[in-house]
Amino acid sequence: MAERLLEVRDLSTHFFTHAGVVRAVNGVSFTLDRGETLGIVGESGSGKTVAALSLMRLVPDPPGKVVAGDILLKSKDLSRLNEEEIRQVRGNDIAMIFQDPMTSLNPVFKVGDQIVEAIRLHQNKGKKEAWRQAAELLAKVGIPDAEHRVDQYPHEFSGGMRQRAMIAMAISCNPDVLIADEPTTALDVTIQAQIIEVVREMQQQYHSGVILITHDLGVVAEMSDKIMVMYGGRTVEYGSVDEIFYDPHHPYTWGLLSSLPRLDLVEKTRLTPIKGNPPDLLLLPLGCPFSGRCPYERSECRDNWPTGEMVGMSHGVHCWIPAEERKNIRSKLPRFRRRVA
Amino acid sequence: MYAYVVRRLMQMIVVLIGVSLITFVIMFIVPGDVARMQAGKNATDEKIAEVRKQLGLDRPLAVQYAKFLGRILKGDLGKSFALDRPVTELIWMGAGNTIQLALAAVLIELLGIPLGIYSALRQYTLWDTVLTTGALLIWGIPVFVLGVFMQWLFGVQLDLLPVSGAGENVLLFIPATLDSLEKLILPAVTLGLIEVAYISYMQRAAMLEVIRSDYIRTARAKGLSERRVVLKHGLKNAVIPVMTIAGIDLGALMGGAILTETVFSRPGIGLMIFQAIGARDMPVVAGGVLFATLVYVLANLVVDLGYAAVDPRIRLEE
Amino acid sequence: MSDQKPRDAVSQQADVAGGERVGRKPLGLWADTWRRLRRNKLAVAGLCIITVFMAVGLTQEVASLAGTYLAPHDPNAVNYELSPDGYGSSPSWSHPFGTDYLGRDIFSRTLVATRISLLVGVIAVSIALAIGLTLGPVAGYYGRWVDSVIMRLADIFFAYPYILFVLLLLTVLGPGFVNVFIAIGLLSWAQYARINRGSVLSVKAMEYIEAARAQGANDVRIIFRHVLPNTMAPVYVAVAMGVGGAIVTEAALSFLGIGIQPPDASWGKMIADYLPYLQGGRWWMEVFPSAALTLTVFGFISFGNGLRDATDPRLKE
Repeated sequence: MAERLLEVRDLSTHFFTHAGVVRAVNGVSFTLDRGETLGIVGESGSGKTVAALSLMRLVPDPPGKVVAGDILLKSKDLSRLNEEEIRQVRGNDIAMIFQDPMTSLNPVFKVGDQIVEAIRLHQNKGKKEAWRQAAELLAKVGIPDAEHRVDQYPHEFSGGMRQRAMIAMAISCNPDVLIADEPTTALDVTIQAQIIEVVREMQQQYHSGVILITHDLGVVAEMSDKIMVMYGGRTVEYGSVDEIFYDPHHPYTWGLLSSLPRLDLVEKTRLTPIKGNPPDLLLLPLGCPFSGRCPYERSECRDNWPTGEMVGMSHGVHCWIPAEERKNIRSKLPRFRRRVA
Repeated sequence: MYAYVVRRLMQMIVVLIGVSLITFVIMFIVPGDVARMQAGKNATDEKIAEVRKQLGLDRPLAVQYAKFLGRILKGDLGKSFALDRPVTELIWMGAGNTIQLALAAVLIELLGIPLGIYSALRQYTLWDTVLTTGALLIWGIPVFVLGVFMQWLFGVQLDLLPVSGAGENVLLFIPATLDSLEKLILPAVTLGLIEVAYISYMQRAAMLEVIRSDYIRTARAKGLSERRVVLKHGLKNAVIPVMTIAGIDLGALMGGAILTETVFSRPGIGLMIFQAIGARDMPVVAGGVLFATLVYVLANLVVDLGYAAVDPRIRLEE
Repeated sequence: MSDQKPRDAVSQQADVAGGERVGRKPLGLWADTWRRLRRNKLAVAGLCIITVFMAVGLTQEVASLAGTYLAPHDPNAVNYELSPDGYGSSPSWSHPFGTDYLGRDIFSRTLVATRISLLVGVIAVSIALAIGLTLGPVAGYYGRWVDSVIMRLADIFFAYPYILFVLLLLTVLGPGFVNVFIAIGLLSWAQYARINRGSVLSVKAMEYIEAARAQGANDVRIIFRHVLPNTMAPVYVAVAMGVGGAIVTEAALSFLGIGIQPPDASWGKMIADYLPYLQGGRWWMEVFPSAALTLTVFGFISFGNGLRDATDPRLKE
């Protein structure tokens, strides 16, 4: 029975702007065990990044604020910690890597410097030892000639290498949880696979839990054990990788999967993008955020948030369409038609 | 870095040659017949021809330019018509006060850096609004207008400080007496105040931008205290570009702050040029401008190289 | 760096427009700029000042062309009665700004002098823009040695401390109306050229990306409706600041005595002329033209700054 690292319950983070209140994250819950990878999937604006930032209280305040929810890290409630305590969690128990490694590293400091900074902050190590460790970490994430690289500046690294360096920096203090926010989005496709591999290796070595945030279903399928699909600040569906990919229950999930090209079909099918635009976060409906865009919307969708419904062992969905009807609709979608031999 | 320095030096040389050429064009080609101007209104044709020969204006332009350039490279900027002294000597006479004023003004100006940073960190507070509005208001005041009113307020109304002249200096530019220090204050504050406004505005903007960067977020995510994040990660990135402004200002002022020196009747290179303009003393005007430009170009070079030394991106790019 | 994906125009624009501000329909560029500008009170104040300035200046110029003036009193009318001791008279109802040592109404003089500043601003910047808008795009479009030559030329013009440069030219040309415009305009083309060259280069890059990615019509429209106007924004900012700069420069030149000559009156000249009277306690002569000048310049700077902030894609809301 793996150790439970994170338990998030009903997390809500809102932004109070002069244009109104943006409910970026609205009642989101999830768990993460040691060695597990949770993929959070959704488009820009779905709230996935804000949810992750909320864990370590990195949401800019003002205008953002975690308004509700419990965040339990190994049964320590992070939302109750004071400033100094949460700083000790950052980089130490929970570490994060960001989307664009080019701008996420400080251009005027050496890469080694930035890693050493993290090391010396949380561990009691001398300068020499920390630098040595930094070089080791760079080597570990697959950067050749790490001894010299450690003395170089970020712009001397290629994009992929920079991301590796960020990963090295993140794991330097052996965090329990590693959050990767769109780690591959800014990189070339060929490099993406490498980076995912690095993250996976580090996860295995350090036995950490990983939260992988992405809009790329391919990446998520590669690495996740379980998936949480977010839309408009809410979780619309969650389950294991297989459950989500092979037995998706939410219309939004169908839409996501349908927009993936299928190479195995003999007959040609069209790529079906999801019609409509992402929701205006200032004018979110009380009910399902996907209403207004959902092709199967019914009258209660707009004003009532559907209660959670279990449709599998660990598989839940929030949708007013009855399960049977959903399966029916789904079978007719081109994406889910059976293979024609 | 080496390649960058070489490239920059080459560029500077090209620019300086260009400057000498354009100055030559302005001095000798634009006015039309310089000899006629020089000889005076009532000169006979003979006299004009004589002056022409004397000034070497009968030679082809290219030759004239070559001689001109040659002279300058040897340090000869010509002779003042009005005062009958070498231009370089006049420049040397005014240099001390000009350097003194330039240094003082820039020192005052540097106060803008902490002001701008503080303002950025306290964005949206009353202090920030006051500072930004004030900076914008002051920045817009033409320097001679401010000078005039500073003179009036502190010199005449309150009778606190002297309003003209300059005092004795030691080591060329260091004020030697209380009197010279007093005479430095108003002009320096006038110049400095406007620049402080500008620099604090720019510094604030730079700091705000830096604070919003991704690498600041990364630093926070590592668990650094807010103070460390700002002071260590933010400062270096935000201050460097602003320091270059101060450096360039210093260069510009070293060539003579003509408006301020005129308002305060402060004997320096700027006043020298102003008086020469009135007397139509071309060699002095041109010589002064050339000198000021040389200093300005050199200052820009130093600033650029300094920037490269501090910002690794420039230094190591190719 | 080779393994970084080239950002397509759409995501770049979306990114650049502020990340998570999704769902709102992208307004036209001008509406968006105006909205952001409106929130900047100083910029709005600046715009008001500029409008008033231009209105006054324009009417005065029209009046001048018609051989007259549009003010309560003749700005050149000497009236010794109003200056009994030779030091003018202080502000009163009939002469809100007072009179100068020759009894001339300061208010009228200040008003009429507005036209000089307007003319300088407009004409000088037009000259500079004309040169810059030709050389800049030429440099950017043709590239290589043409670009090199033009940029070196720009470097040379940038090398001089501006006011000394103008003074040098003006000393040789002689003072006067026209010479001032020429001097100021001719010597400030370089900044406009540089900005324009930048715009052209970025458009060139866009076209390349567009062609290389063979996206649908959507992208092309975005490029032309949003990106291209965006690249023009720095030019507008430069023009706003440039006009302000030209006005101050003319004032400085006139102050030094080498600018506008009588009978034309400009604020700079007035500031110089009335300076001795300030020491003597007759403050009104010096104060009002100074205030007019400062206020006008402030207007242009505020507006220019506000415009710059409003069109800066990186400034998140």
